[in-house]
Amino acid sequence: MVGAIIIGDQTAAVEPQSPSRAGLYPRAWVTVEVLGKSPIARIAESLKDICDAVSVIMNDPPNTQDVTTDPVGDLATERFANYKAEGFETVLIVRCGAYVELDAAEMLSFHQENGSTVTRAFNDNGPLDVWTVAPSVLPEHTPLLSALAGGGAAVYCSKGYVNQLQNAPDFRRLVLDGFSSRCRLRPCGSEVKRGIWICEGAQIERSARVVAPAFIGRDGHISAECLVTRGSNVESNSRVDFGTAVEDSSILSNSYVGIGLDLSHSIVDGHNLFNLRHNVNLEITDPVVMRQNAVRGGDRRSLGSIETRQMALSSVE
Amino acid sequence: MQTSGPVVVMQVPEILNVKEVHSFMEELGPLLESNRPRIVLDCSQVRSMESAGVEMLLRCLEEVLKRDGDLKLAALSQEAEVILELMRVARVFETFQTCEDAVRSFNAIPTDAVPQDAPWYANMFNEVGVVKQAS
Repeated sequence: MVGAIIIGDQTAAVEPQSPSRAGLYPRAWVTVEVLGKSPIARIAESLKDICDAVSVIMNDPPNTQDVTTDPVGDLATERFANYKAEGFETVLIVRCGAYVELDAAEMLSFHQENGSTVTRAFNDNGPLDVWTVAPSVLPEHTPLLSALAGGGAAVYCSKGYVNQLQNAPDFRRLVLDGFSSRCRLRPCGSEVKRGIWICEGAQIERSARVVAPAFIGRDGHISAECLVTRGSNVESNSRVDFGTAVEDSSILSNSYVGIGLDLSHSIVDGHNLFNLRHNVNLEITDPVVMRQNAVRGGDRRSLGSIETRQMALSSVE
Repeated sequence: MQTSGPVVVMQVPEILNVKEVHSFMEELGPLLESNRPRIVLDCSQVRSMESAGVEMLLRCLEEVLKRDGDLKLAALSQEAEVILELMRVARVFETFQTCEDAVRSFNAIPTDAVPQDAPWYANMFNEVGVVKQAS
């Protein structure tokens, strides 16, 4: 039996704090919805077919780092001990700071054929935070992450796509790589026209223009006279209001972008705006311009979704 | 004959929200009502600007243009630049790297200026070269 532990290590995903980036500092990009689904959810999904059990361990992003406790590490150690007790022969451990695509099945067979107790994935740039471990080799109550960091593992060379997801430009690159099929991360929803993906419940008003490549997430709303273009993604439950142009930008889920704006080379996360060209993070205090949208409940009427979907299909260019 | 006063440079506050706009306008207001106001707004300290702040800048520009003056922005912080671009007003204002550049621009005479009493085609000849006399 093969088990997997995915560790959403949010401290590994953030860069050192600087005043201009304070607003986006706690953002762990691996947990942020990108083209309909977060990278960590995609990794978990990809492992479900080859592993008998998959555990995802996450904690909230720390604003103040308490060095005396490691709740994620403790949970991972506990989960690993459970796998051992349940008789799993191999455990695949993925520590998600970066978004890593590798052939897990190939890595597992390499690990088994090689007869090694610990195997670590590497690419051309060095080690990746992906290991396969035989649970029997680790003594009881040994902290898992520090044991893995110890070295001495067999080397599995991966040629798969890696995005470090350390900062906002990395996140934008992941979006563009997803659009251009440079990685396996594909947009969710339906490709209604070449390069345009629209998810269930999305509304695009008739006079709005969506130019490929672009993505409109679940329950996204693009108002009249808007333009969404150049690899822009509007994630779930976000709204772009009348006449606004969105170019080479990401609007993260549950965000509202106001009327008549020119949003370019940016990432919007609620009331936070990160401009990649100027490398500056702004907290927009004016709710007319940008704000956090209320998070919607899970239930949606299916008939309503079908109707709005048809409207969206007829209005994209 | 119209005269114009000196160029006035004013520092825009760090945060330009509704409250700050009000107090800033108390200072700036009298200057706008002068004859041919020449104003430079130093935006180097701006960290945050609400739509009220952008609206105030536009209103000031409108006022000074009505009085045959001008308002220029100088030393824009990255934040100010992003907000003005976002709100589609960046091109409405004449902007300068430094306040000195902005002040100097008020006194600059364009090098290709044509005297008002010169004929309309005077500049054109310079561009096409020497015009030969018809034989």
